[in-house]
Amino acid sequence: MTKLNTNQWLAVVLALFAAAYLAMAWQVPTFPLPRPVDSDLFPKVLGAALLLLSIFLFFEKPGAIAGADEIDSDASRHGPLWLTPWARVIVTALAIAAYAFLLVPLGFVLASTLLCVGLTAYYGYRRHGVNLLTSLGVVLALYLTMTRVMDVYLPTGVLPF
Amino acid sequence: MDALNNLMYGFGIALEPMNIAYVFAGVFAGTIIGMLPGLGPISALALMIPITFAMEPSSGLILMAGVYYGAIFGGSTSSILLNAPGVAGTVATSFDGYPMAKQGKAGKALAIAAYSSFVGGTVSVIFLMLVAPLLSKVAVSFGPAEYFALMVLGLTAVVSLSDKSLVKGLIAAVVGVMISIVGIDMQTGTERFTFNSINLLDGIDFLVVALGIFALAEVFYMLLRGGGGKEAPRNAIGSLKLTRSEVGQIAGPVSRSSVLGFFTGVLPGAGATIGSFLGYSMEKRIAKDGDTFGKGNIKGVAAPEAANNAACTGSFVPLLTLGVPGSGTTAVLLGALLVMGVTPGPMMLEQRPDVFWGVVASMYIGNIFLLVLNLPLIPLIAKILDLPKPLLLSLILIFCMIGVYGMSFSVFDLLLLLGFGLLGLGMRLFGFPAAPLILALILGNIMEESMRRALQISGGDWMTFVDKPISLSLLLIALLSLGLPLLKKRRKKAAVAE
Repeated sequence: MTKLNTNQWLAVVLALFAAAYLAMAWQVPTFPLPRPVDSDLFPKVLGAALLLLSIFLFFEKPGAIAGADEIDSDASRHGPLWLTPWARVIVTALAIAAYAFLLVPLGFVLASTLLCVGLTAYYGYRRHGVNLLTSLGVVLALYLTMTRVMDVYLPTGVLPF
Repeated sequence: MDALNNLMYGFGIALEPMNIAYVFAGVFAGTIIGMLPGLGPISALALMIPITFAMEPSSGLILMAGVYYGAIFGGSTSSILLNAPGVAGTVATSFDGYPMAKQGKAGKALAIAAYSSFVGGTVSVIFLMLVAPLLSKVAVSFGPAEYFALMVLGLTAVVSLSDKSLVKGLIAAVVGVMISIVGIDMQTGTERFTFNSINLLDGIDFLVVALGIFALAEVFYMLLRGGGGKEAPRNAIGSLKLTRSEVGQIAGPVSRSSVLGFFTGVLPGAGATIGSFLGYSMEKRIAKDGDTFGKGNIKGVAAPEAANNAACTGSFVPLLTLGVPGSGTTAVLLGALLVMGVTPGPMMLEQRPDVFWGVVASMYIGNIFLLVLNLPLIPLIAKILDLPKPLLLSLILIFCMIGVYGMSFSVFDLLLLLGFGLLGLGMRLFGFPAAPLILALILGNIMEESMRRALQISGGDWMTFVDKPISLSLLLIALLSLGLPLLKKRRKKAAVAE
C-alpha cells in the first residue's frame, strides 16, 4: 500500500468527521408543523460540502506548508525533554486547563498570578522579582478595572477582596 | 444647500462644550476598551447605556458614536501589536499589521491605521450626510435571497484570499459555518450539535473562537518556534512618520476602501467585518505587489482600516433613517436610543433633527479627536512590545482568559478557548487559513436565516436565488472570485511550462 501524503491523511480525517457530522445532521429532529425548510437542511448541506471538499483535498498535491518548518528543531535535539517545543505547548495547554478548573476556588487574582508567574519562569525568564511584580501588577490592574470600574464580577476565591 | 444648513445646525449642537467633552471621553474610553482583547464595541457601548440613560438624546448618541469609533481603532491596535483582534472588524488589519510589527515597523503600522481610520471615517460621514436617503432605499430593496447571495460573496471573497489552496480555504469556511450553527435554532427552537450540554445551548461565542484561533494559536506557535527559552531580539517600534512615497502608496487604497467600506456598512448585516475583508481583498487583487500582502504590506493595513471605519459610519444609515440596526453594535445603539425615548426611523429627520444632525457633525469632530488623541499615544501604546517575550506570552494568555471569562463567566468557555487554540495551531501548521473560518462563523447564522427565509417565501424553490437579478449578479461575482485564482494559477503553470 502506498504511503499517504499530508493532504491525503488530512482528507481522510476530514471525510470521517464529515460522515459523523452528516449522521448527526440526520438525527436533528424535525419541526412538528410541515415547512419547506427545516433545521436539518443547512447542517446536511454543510456535511455534504465538507465531504466533497475532503475528496478534492485528497487529490490536491501538497504544497510547502508555511510554519511547519519553523519549529525550533535545535531545542528538540539538544534541550531537556520538558523544554522541547512540543513539551512547551503541552505544558501550556495543561496549565490553561488547570487554570480553568482552579479559577473559581482560588479566585482570579491568585490563579492568574500563579499562571502568569509560573509560565513566564517555565519559558525561561530568570528575573523572578520582575516577573512576580509585573504579573501581580497587571493582574491586579485588570481585576480592579473589571470589578470596580466595569462592574464585571470576577471570582474572589480564597482572598478576601 | 439643505444638507449644508442642516450640518451647520448639527455643528451648533456638537460644538457645545459639554458635547465636545462627551466626544473626547467617548473616543478615549472606546480606544482603551477596544484595545483589550475580548472587549469590543458591543461591550463598550453596552457599558455606556447606564451612563447615557439620563442624558440628552443628542449628547448620549454623540458619546456613543465616539465610543464606537474609538473601540474599532483600539481593536486595530491589539491586532497590530499582539495579533489578537478582539473585534471582528479588525481581523483583516492583523494580516499585514502584525508582520509589520514583527519587522520593527509597529509605529508605522499604527500611524497608517490612525490616518486611514481618519480618512475612512471622514469620507464616509460626507457620504452619510449627502446620500443617506438614496442608499437606504437600495438597502431596503434587499430581500432574504439577496442577503444570502451577499453573504456568499463575502465568504468567497475571503476564501479567494487564501491563494495557496482554495480547497483548504473553503474547508475552513465550512467548518466556520458549522461552529456558528451549534446551539438552539432560533426559528424552530430545535437543539443542534449541543451534545445535551447546557453550555452549548446558546451556541459558541465569536470571541472564544477568535481569541483561540488567533491569539492563543499565536502563543502556541511562538512556543514551537522557540519563543520561550531564549530572549528574542526585541523589535523597535520604528518611526511614526510616513514618507512621501508611502503616503502616495496608501492614498489610492484608502480612498477606494473608504467608499467601499461605507457602501458595505449601509447594507444590514454586512458592516465593518465584511467591509474590511472586501477592502483588503480588493487591494490585494489590484495591487502590483499583491504577493507581498500578508507579509507586512502597508496597503494591507491602510485598506481594511479605512474600510472598517467607513463601514461603522455606513451602518448608521439604516439605523438612523429606517430604524433597522445593521449589526450587533448598532442593535445596542438602537436599544440605547429607545431607552432615551428616541425612536429612529424615517420620521426621525423631521421630528428629532437635533439628534440626526448632531450625530453627523459629532462624527467629524470624533474623527479629528481620534487622530489627535491616538497619534501622540502610539509610542506609549507600543511600549507593550518592550516586555520580555516570556512575560508577554503569559500576559496574552491572561488577557485571552479574562476576555472570555469576563463575558460568559463560564469555565466551559475557557476549555473551549483552549480547544480552539489547539485547532488554530493545527490549521496554521497544515496550511489552513483562519480568516475564512472566522468570517464564516460571524456570517453563518445570518446566512442560514436568509437562506431559509428565501426558501420559505419561494415554497422551497432553490431557483429563487438565481431568479432575482441582484442575487444572481452577486452569486456570479462570488463564483468569479473563486474562479479567478484558479485561472491565474493555470496561466502561471502554462507560462512555466513554456
